[in-house]
Amino acid sequence: MELQPIYIQILALAIFALGLMTAISRRNLFFVLMGVELALNAVNLSFIGFAKTLPADMSVAGQIVPLFSIAVAAAEACVGFAMLILLFRKKESVDSDNYSNMKG
Amino acid sequence: MLALIYFIILAVIALGAAVCVFLSRHPLYGALSLVTSMVALAGIYGLIGSPFLGVVQIMVYAGAIMMLVTFVIMVLNGARDSKTPMFDKVSLFVIPAVLALAGLVGFALVRAPLAFDATALRGSVALTSRTLFDVAQTGPGYFVLFEVLGLLLLSAMVAAVLLAKKRLGSVDTENTEESH
Repeated sequence: MELQPIYIQILALAIFALGLMTAISRRNLFFVLMGVELALNAVNLSFIGFAKTLPADMSVAGQIVPLFSIAVAAAEACVGFAMLILLFRKKESVDSDNYSNMKG
Repeated sequence: MLALIYFIILAVIALGAAVCVFLSRHPLYGALSLVTSMVALAGIYGLIGSPFLGVVQIMVYAGAIMMLVTFVIMVLNGARDSKTPMFDKVSLFVIPAVLALAGLVGFALVRAPLAFDATALRGSVALTSRTLFDVAQTGPGYFVLFEVLGLLLLSAMVAAVLLAKKRLGSVDTENTEESH
């Protein structure tokens, strides 16, 4: 039995589902941001797993794109946590239910 | 066979740490579980033949981003609301919906024919940097994206500083800053 690409994709899918559940259903704002990071990681893993199923020259692109994805995730975390600090300074709380005054 | 054993070990670590992120109560434990998950994923990147991406994952994700996360958690005392319940009634609908989505995508994935290509190139430092900085006119042009990425990171840094700074210019904020 050898390592198959489908195992990598199933692992990426499981981590993505866990990240999505963390981002949507947890109430602490830190966990919302961490769930987004987890989902982004799973997408990177899926990219690399699929890149290895392509022939020689085409397999390089799938290993370059995650680099950009990681850098965009860094920018996203930077701005996201700055917004978290701003929100925390307004209401002294990290419970997302305290920020529900925008819901229609 | 050996690759499969390594993959199973790393996958179990990554999945277990991801479950810990989902279930942990204190954000700091969640952040540490997230670091564990990211390092295990970096090991998987190296295992399937992208060692450069594995190192970048450790440096940028497990190093820089998670340092930022733990720093903000410690500064803001993120455990303040740990008495509120972790989940609410919305979770009753969200979790089955996400599981159903994962089941559907997994079904489609299992039916798709996938196989490793033996000629796939190993993403070493030399190959990755040669492709990334290929400035020839017929090349892939990733270097333009790389420049844009520098602009994006710079603007993100400026935005973060502008968002998170104390309001400057008024007298009382300056006084409180001095007293700290």
